Amino acid sequence: MMFRVARSRKGGQVTHYDLYKVSAEKGMTVLDALFQIQDLMDPSLAFRYSCRGAVCGSCAMLINKVPMLACRTQILELPDLSVRLRPFSALENIPSGWDPKNEVLVEPLPNLPLLKDLVVDMEPFFKALRKMRLWVEPEEGDSPRSQSPEDRQRISRYVNCILCALCYGSCPVNAEHPEYVGPAALAKAWRFYNDTRVAEPERYLEAAKAPNGAPLCDLVMNCVRVCPKGVAPGGAIRKIKDLM
Amino acid sequence: MDYLHDVVVVGAGLSGLRVAIELADSFDVVVLTKVHPLRSHSVAAQGGINAALRPDDSWESHAFDTVKGSDYLADQDVVEVLARNAPLAVIENERWGTAFSRTPDGRIAQRPFGGAGFPRTCYAADRTGHNLLHTTYEQALRRGVHFYEEWFVTSLVRCGDRVCGVTALKIPTGQVHGIGARAVVIATGGFGRIYGNSTNALINTGDGAAVCLRTGVPLKDMEFVQFHPTTLYGSNILITEGARGEGGHLLNADGERFMQRYAPEKMELAPRDIVARAIRTEIIEGRGFEDGYVHLDLRHLGADRIKERLPGIREICIHFAGIDPIDEPIPVVPGQHYSMGGIDCNVRGETVLSGLYAVGETACMSVHGANRLGGNSLLETLVFGRVVGQAVGEYLKSASSPDSAAVDEQVFSERQRLQRILMRERGESPATIRKAMHRAMDEYAGVFRDAEGLTHAFREIGRLRERYQKVALGDSDERFNYALIRTLELGNMLDLAETIVLGALKREESRGAHWRTDFPARDDKRFLKHTLITKTAEGLKVTYKDVTLGRFEVKERTY
Ligand SMILES: Cc1cc2nc3c(=O)[nH]c(=O)nc-3n(C[C@H](O)[C@H](O)[C@H](O)COP(=O)(O)OP(=O)(O)OC[C@H]3O[C@@H](n4cnc5c(N)ncnc54)[C@H](O)[C@@H]3O)c2cc1C
Ligand code: SF4
Ligand code: FES
Repeated sequence: MMFRVARSRKGGQVTHYDLYKVSAEKGMTVLDALFQIQDLMDPSLAFRYSCRGAVCGSCAMLINKVPMLACRTQILELPDLSVRLRPFSALENIPSGWDPKNEVLVEPLPNLPLLKDLVVDMEPFFKALRKMRLWVEPEEGDSPRSQSPEDRQRISRYVNCILCALCYGSCPVNAEHPEYVGPAALAKAWRFYNDTRVAEPERYLEAAKAPNGAPLCDLVMNCVRVCPKGVAPGGAIRKIKDLM
Repeated sequence: MDYLHDVVVVGAGLSGLRVAIELADSFDVVVLTKVHPLRSHSVAAQGGINAALRPDDSWESHAFDTVKGSDYLADQDVVEVLARNAPLAVIENERWGTAFSRTPDGRIAQRPFGGAGFPRTCYAADRTGHNLLHTTYEQALRRGVHFYEEWFVTSLVRCGDRVCGVTALKIPTGQVHGIGARAVVIATGGFGRIYGNSTNALINTGDGAAVCLRTGVPLKDMEFVQFHPTTLYGSNILITEGARGEGGHLLNADGERFMQRYAPEKMELAPRDIVARAIRTEIIEGRGFEDGYVHLDLRHLGADRIKERLPGIREICIHFAGIDPIDEPIPVVPGQHYSMGGIDCNVRGETVLSGLYAVGETACMSVHGANRLGGNSLLETLVFGRVVGQAVGEYLKSASSPDSAAVDEQVFSERQRLQRILMRERGESPATIRKAMHRAMDEYAGVFRDAEGLTHAFREIGRLRERYQKVALGDSDERFNYALIRTLELGNMLDLAETIVLGALKREESRGAHWRTDFPARDDKRFLKHTLITKTAEGLKVTYKDVTLGRFEVKERTY
């Protein structure tokens, strides 16, 4: 199976694509294929990885023009994976020479500065967590707080976010507005706002309503379609907008 | 010396973060990590964290289960600290925001786990590590903890009997830097990737332990490697013990619940070593499916319970094995899971070098002895992260500044070492050596061991270590040179593999996870002791150290 992989030695932008022939086996993921390339063909290929089990959020990239986790994407199932996304330039521009029938196209996650090959700078994505202060201000106490299973259930889907940034990389608003905090940060703000144990929930809602937050969202919902964990950030953003 | 701090914490998993949080208000702490903190392996923990929270449970009973589970090799003073402080650690994280699963009346839900006499494993569905790590990281951000992200530690700087910093490769630039520090805390996690079949993240290569070994710090009980009974056939992704805790059955190809022949009372919830051996025995004796796995059947739990309690497991089965456990049993095999051994240290994390501390999975205090109970290692990271943080704080009150000349010298020699690897134009590929190491360890240092196999493995690892000296990467770049990182990791793993095999060869008994078919009984007279392996000029030296007993009497371990 052929892999066409975006390359960028110095970062900034993709300079060219390299073509590799990977020997594919059943059960093999795109991440396995990238390791095969690095081990046997091209040690200079750079990409991030850690858990290989879709829990750590390291390996977000663009695979056949769809933002996906490389470790969770089986290469033999790739032809059946079609996700309908609202396009923007990174998803629309087809590199010359790509033959979608016979080649897997692997590119860096869009909307974040490119550092090398498939490695992008996650700082703009993570900065929002700090700027919006997306954490709990703990109160003194020596016993656990009580929470009903129903109240726990209400935040469950947001708690499951692994901060992989697939939503950020799939969002046409992020493509146009680098200042937009992105879907994951807003979903996380919504999680704290809805956690019955949190003392000052309003602060998270206010942070989400800031001009570089929910107001910029056009409810495109690409984020909902690409999220590997069913977080559905777009749903949370819609609810935030309802409160504006 | 390019950088200077009071403390360098190496590792941003739960244990490293917890240490940093303890120290951040009073000292200049930096956390150095080879991946972004949230990508640390702690994020992958599924099943839960143990704490005696209920009035009808007690820390003594938790301590007893831990000591018995350890096959009496755990140091009982350390276990006492673990069990006594468990409720506090869980409550602290709950108050920081961790979304634990709940009972109908709003308390933290707890599930039964292997080897425990009480259902005391607190959980957040089957994503407990994810919840704890994200929460703890949020709190580290709140306190303004300073991170050096994507920095790879290559060595410790030693000045006489104390540590005075580390050298590290800054992955984004490819430059080696010296970081001087009055104290260094090693929190680099487990080293499962020495084995081919492992549940661990690909980054779990034991760098911290290897760096300590090379600096003359002893490693303890390295032969004790936990094999998890249920990993997904093929990718070895973990299927949590929680799946059995919720009532899952293990079945062989005859459809028999075979655990009744191995642990009639505890059945599927016997400790991990016992269940792993049972499964291997079924497979070896021909009662496995196809070329070697058994079934973990959850179907009788019903769709609702599976979706509510084990959603992550269901996702893993769907995406990585193409099956839905609501309709089909899960194919499972045992696989490497946890490193009980590690850097020799005491209950405060202190090692033989002053200023050098170890904590978390890479440390061996020893709280897990010969076999760790599920749910005790997340607990270890949080309880001892705090304890070690406090110990470092006390040490810093009187510790003097590091010797910057020693740091500079070390940086110079590390740069040369890496240059030699990078410049070598022809040589063997690291991938070949990695594969051979995996084969030797899976085959001869796995669930069942004997003198012949271990001797073979010891020689093989020795040969691989020699071949490693001539390894060549091929053309790569300075920036983000992951091929270099993976080669350095391989060197670290080979060093540790040698200690695992040597410890296993010398321990002529069976205890906990270490099972010698040629010595099938426990031998307290000779081996109720910790193994210490130290690197000296003459090679590896093996010595033994007494176990701290005192609270619980050493008995036969039956379930
Ligand atoms: C799949 C799985 C499931 C588990 N489930 C449970 C469970 O349910 N309950 C339980 O109690 N335990 C569980 N465990 C065990 C538990 O998760 C780990 O023991 C624990 O999280 C280890 O935490 P740590 O902080 O010691 O290390 P880790 O979380 O592994 O962190 C290590 C850190 O060290 C850094 N590092 C490593 N090398 C270097 C280097 N050279 N330079 C710089 N930084 C470096 C890494 O970047 C990382 O930040 C599980 C383990 C696995 C494999
Ligand atoms: S919301 Fe989904 S896609 Fe976005 S960061 Fe979280 S897990 Fe990833
Ligand atoms: S490697 Fe962790 S999500 Fe892919």
